[in-house]
Formats: sequence, structure tokens, C-alpha cells
Amino acid sequence: MGRSLTAESWFLRNNMMGKSVDISVDFAGVKLANPVFTASGTCGYADELADFMTVNKLGGFITKSITAAPRKGNAVPRIVETDSGMLNAIGLANIGLDKFIKEKLPILRKMSPAIFVNVAGQTIEEYTAVMERLAAEDAIAGFELNISCPNVKKGGISFGTDAGAVAEITSAVKKAAGEKVLMVKLSPCVTDISVMARAAVDAGADAISLINTFTAMVIDIERRKPVLANRTGGLSGPAIKPIAVYMVNKVYNEVTKSCGVPILGLGGIRTASDAIEFIIAGASAVAVGTWNFVEPQGTINIIEGIKQYCLRNNIADIKELTGSLL
Amino acid sequence: MGTSKKGQFCAAVSANRQIGRRCYRLSLAFEGTGAKAFGELLPGQFAEVDLSEVALPVMEKIPQDLRDASKREIILRRPFSFCDVTVQRNKTIAEILYCVVGPASLRMTTLSAGDSVSVIGPLGNGFSMPKGKKTALLLAGGMGAPPLLHLAKVIRRDYPKIECVAFAGAKTKEELPFKLRLDKASIKSGLVLDEFAKYKIKSFVSTDDGSAGYTGFVTDCLVQWLDECGLKEKDLIIYGCGPEAMLARAAEIADERKIDCQVSMEQMMACGIGLCQSCAVECKTDGSGETIYKMCCKDGPVFDSRELVFKK
Ligand SMILES: Cc1cc2nc3c(=O)[nH]c(=O)nc-3n(C[C@H](O)[C@H](O)[C@H](O)COP(=O)(O)OP(=O)(O)OC[C@H]3O[C@@H](n4cnc5c(N)ncnc54)[C@H](O)[C@@H]3O)c2cc1C
Ligand SMILES: Cc1cc2nc3c(=O)[nH]c(=O)nc-3n(C[C@H](O)[C@H](O)[C@H](O)COP(=O)(O)O)c2cc1C
Ligand code: FES
Repeated sequence: MGRSLTAESWFLRNNMMGKSVDISVDFAGVKLANPVFTASGTCGYADELADFMTVNKLGGFITKSITAAPRKGNAVPRIVETDSGMLNAIGLANIGLDKFIKEKLPILRKMSPAIFVNVAGQTIEEYTAVMERLAAEDAIAGFELNISCPNVKKGGISFGTDAGAVAEITSAVKKAAGEKVLMVKLSPCVTDISVMARAAVDAGADAISLINTFTAMVIDIERRKPVLANRTGGLSGPAIKPIAVYMVNKVYNEVTKSCGVPILGLGGIRTASDAIEFIIAGASAVAVGTWNFVEPQGTINIIEGIKQYCLRNNIADIKELTGSLL
Repeated sequence: MGTSKKGQFCAAVSANRQIGRRCYRLSLAFEGTGAKAFGELLPGQFAEVDLSEVALPVMEKIPQDLRDASKREIILRRPFSFCDVTVQRNKTIAEILYCVVGPASLRMTTLSAGDSVSVIGPLGNGFSMPKGKKTALLLAGGMGAPPLLHLAKVIRRDYPKIECVAFAGAKTKEELPFKLRLDKASIKSGLVLDEFAKYKIKSFVSTDDGSAGYTGFVTDCLVQWLDECGLKEKDLIIYGCGPEAMLARAAEIADERKIDCQVSMEQMMACGIGLCQSCAVECKTDGSGETIYKMCCKDGPVFDSRELVFKK
């Protein structure tokens, strides 16, 4: 929603004349115009979003999870709203690799944001098969390895909640990813997220994204049944933000700061202030998920807001802000 | 398919009237590009309305059974279809008929003239017009009436030769989202539902408990009418909107009698614009017994009834 020019923003704009700020980032070797991505599963394959916002203004775009074969996904209801959040149990419904390559990749190829393909599977072989087929595609910058989906019976989160399994799958797919950036998406449903981040980094992850959703349940008390057909779903939205910020900070301090592996921070981001919290906590870039459903143009306001924050605080380069928590 | 450009618009509330016990009519005024987009809205298309920043009514005004629900913080937009669209010189008035069922619709009741809301639309595919048909049967269950009122108006305007007959059902008379004309002349002429009578459309009312009109389901009322109408099936088309069980029965009737039938489906929607895949509707594929999920918000909400697999 366009906001009118307030006295404050007028002052800032004029007072900042002559100053400039660089909000571009180098994300594991990929040059991003700004640090804002859309999160996997919340913006399809970008074509739907294009009706409502200028996708080319984004720093990066992450596709819905792709599996080797198409997946129908779970029965409905697949979502339910909760206080300041929602549960989803989509079940990785997606068009499958072949159709993705034929129908969606040509659209993504024309777009300027760095494109990351989120990959999911039931077996390590399935993950590798998808990545090998896409590794030579110049349209994509990298992969996001989804080992944290809580809504499928096999694969998904079962790879992401055991450090041994994280290491095994990361090193197995590293070769398949070829020259592309390999980002590993972590589940928050673990006792110590740093252990998982460490396992991924040691096994060759070029970047870490966190967090995926929390496994959760909403009960219909009249029917005494879970609302979701899948019984449980993943909690996302503003409700999870403080936990996500904490986890980013923990992984930054305990794992990535020393080795320079960048973090993509996400979970509940609605505003530039939310995004900046993640960056101060240690994220090099951020992703917006659930909020796209409410404000499809929200990411653009966030990018602008980050710029304003930097100007206001005399930050010449956004990179200075990453991990600057005192 | 809509030809207008969908988008996110700021709409001004021009009225919000209570028309039944838990039923209201909200008028939204769109200007500029919004006026153009919503001026071209087809019957059956919908919009996603952001009610998260609208205030709740004071506690005393919240019905007892909705007080727990009213405590829920809402973040997602809510989907609503439209019961009427009027294009004026430089603005479009689009009207929503809504029922108070939870935290978002409760908030909607406090909107008043001069307020504004953020609206994303027009979304989805509307009903296709009854070209080549002689009679259109409008079948409304519970709160399923709004888009059929809009459809009635458009058919009357664009296809004046096509006859329309409305069937409206609810559990009780109280839950019918319509004003009833129960004077002798209206009953005799069949112009019972005020909103349809406005377009000179005959209507039949049914209630599960018999508190008004036919006692039983609206689909039973339809079957009786079909048995007695003496019209050829190929000249008829059924348009249905309401609870899924009613639509399933309507689809069955249409299938048995080889009558064309379009139904408007409802699903829980997180985005309404094809981003999230939450609104899956099970559909048949050609030939093989396989089914696929289509998205209610993007591929629907109006579907050809032959395409759908209804939950048993
Ligand atoms: C395409 C479409 C068009 C619609 N048009 C209208 C309309 O013209 N008038 C109207 O009153 N309502 C309409 N609805 C339903 C409307 O979206 C819901 O009533 C509203 O979201 C309720 O929000 P709430 O917070 O008040 O209640 P909630 O607490 O969210 O819901 C209350 C109850 O309604 C059910 N419900 C909520 N949303 C939906 C949904 N999308 N589909 C089916 N059941 C639902 C819930 O399961 C719950 O039992 C439409 C829905 C769709 C999908
Ligand atoms: C409807 C929905 C679908 C999602 N689908 C995927 C997916 O396919 N793959 C994935 O890795 N994450 C998926 N996610 C998780 C998001 O990418 C993100 O990690 C999470 O929602 C937290 O961010 P948010 O609070 O900003 O939404 C999905 C989330 C939602 C709400
Ligand atoms: S509601 Fe999001 S895809 Fe239909």
C-alpha cells in the first residue's frame, strides 16, 4: 500500500541528499541487488506474483519445492490461521521437474533476481536427480535444499533433524549441485540448531537458510479433530519471528561467523524493521514468506525501508550491519 | 475469464447495513484503476479483503458464541464475492453480502462510511453466460446467494430473453440471507425473494425445518421443479453456490439429467492469488481414473460440475 509522504520521510529524503547507501550483497558468490528474497512455497514460480508486484526489484527468488515427479499434495484443509500466524500442510504439491523445466524455467530465466530452486525428495537419489538436471541451467544461481518440510511422510524433515543425516545428504548432493550455490534450509524442530548448521557447513553447504516452519496442531473442539487433514502443519508468520531471530543469531555466533558462510534469515518478516533484526542477528540476506499472502508488494516496501534505515543510521554498506549485534 | 487487470486497491466504504440477524451488506467504492478493474468484475469472481486493522465491535455487541473466536488475532485476508456491481461516472460500487461467522467478519461489521480497506481483486473465474440456453436456474444454499444475485442482474441485462428462476435454501427462515415478500400478490406471482423480485425473477424458498416455503433441501425443491417444468434439459443451465454437500447433490442431479451445471466452490484460502496452493479442489482428468488438484482461487472458484470430485 502506498504510504503518503510524511514530514519525517520528507526530512530524511532531503537531509540525506548526497549520501548513498549500498544495499547489494555478495551471497556465497552470488551478487544480489538487495538482500531481500521471497521464501519457498509462498510465491509459486514467480509468474503469479508478477500480477501484483515488480518481481525484478527483488534481490532473490526461491521457487516452490521441486521434486523429481509431480506431487498432488495433501488433502484439504491444508491451512488454518492461528494467532499472528498460520499452519500449512500443503505436502510439497508441485508440478515436478519436467514441467518445471519446460514451463517455469523460461519465465524465471527472464527475471533479474537471483533464482534459487528449492529441492525436496524422499530419498537422497531423488534430490541428486533433480539437482543434476538443473546444475547446468544458467538461469539459476543455486539450490535451496529442503530437508525441513514437516508435512510429508517420507523425506523432508527426517533428513533435517539428525546431524548425521544432514551431513550425509549435504555431501551427497554437493557434487550434483556442480558450480551452483548449495544452500541448506534448516528445520527449527531440533534441540540445537547449531549442531545441524555445523553438520551442513562441514559437509560443504555454501549457505544456510533458517528457519522452516515449526510442527504444530490446531484442534476443532466441536469435532475433537485436528483442523488440518494432515493433522499437523508447519507454523509460520509473525508468531515465529523472535525464535527465528534467536536461531539466526545462535548459528551466526556458533557456526558461520568464523567460516564466512552466509545465512538467509526468515520467519515472520513483515516489515523492514523485522528484516533488519535478522540482519543485525547475523543474516546476510532475508526472505519473506507468509506476508506475501497479505501484502504481495510487501517485499518492495521492505527493500525501501532497509535503505532508509541505513541512511538514517549512516550505514554506507549493508554488509556492515550483518552480525552487528552488540 | 476476466479481462480487467487485477490488483491491490484501496476501497472506500460507502455503506454497511445490517439486513438480517447476522447478515450485512457492505458497499465499497473504487476510484481510478480500481473503478475500472471492479467495473469489469464478472459474477462469481471474488476479492481478498484485509480486515486485520479493522476494530472489533465492543464486547457487549459480540454474540456470545463468537466471543472466544473474537480473541483471535487475524493476519490473513478473507475472500468475499460480490452481490452487485454498479458502474458510475468515475467510480464503481461493489457490494458484499456477508454473514458474521468469526473474527474477520465480526470486524467487518464495524466498518462505516468513510473508512477504507485494502482489497485485492477481481480474482478467479466467474460464471460463464447462459448463451444458447432458455432458462437459467439459480441455486443458492445458505450464504451462497451473493454471486447469484449479481449473475441474475447480468443475465437480465445482457440476455433479457433468457428466463431465470431462483431457488434459495437455508436451515431456517432466519438464516435466509434475503428479505421475503410474503404478501398474497407476491406469493401468487412467485416473486417471493425481494432481491430477485427486483429483477422480475421468480423464486422458490426452502428451509430444512419448514419455517418458510418448501420443507427440505433446496436440491429436493429443484428436483420437484425439474419434474414438473416440462422444459428440455438442453435448454437449461444450473448455477449453484453454497455448501459443498448441496453442490455435490446439484452436480448429481445435473449429471443424471444431462443439464449443464456450474458451481462456485469455497476453500480455505491463505492468499487467493495462486501463490500458496492451500485451496485445492479435487478434479477429474480426461479418461483415466486419476484425479488432480486444481486451485479454487485461480482455476475456480466457478467450476463445471462435471469436472469435480466431491467428498463423500
Ligand atoms: C470464493 C469465496 C467467496 C466467498 N464469498 C462470501 C460471501 O460473499 N459472503 C460471505 O459471507 N462469505 C463468503 N465467503 C466465506 C468467507 O470468506 C468466510 O466467511 C470468512 O473468511 C470468515 O472469516 P472469519 O474470520 O469471520 O471466520 P473464520 O473463523 O475464519 O471462519 C468461521 C467459519 O467459517 C469457515 N470458513 C472460513 N473461511 C472459509 C472459506 N473460505 N470457505 C469455507 N468455509 C470457510 C471456517 O471453517 C469456520 O468454520 C467466501 C469464501 C470464498 C472462498
Ligand atoms: C503455504 C506455505 C508453503 C510453504 N512451502 C514450502 C516449500 O515448498 N518448501 C520450503 O522449503 N518451505 C516452504 N514453506 C516455508 C517457508 O519458505 C518459510 O520457511 C516459513 O514459512 C517461515 O517464513 P514466514 O514466517 O515468513 O512464512 C512454506 C510456507 C508456507 C506458509
Ligand atoms: S489461496 Fe493461495 S493458491 Fe489459492
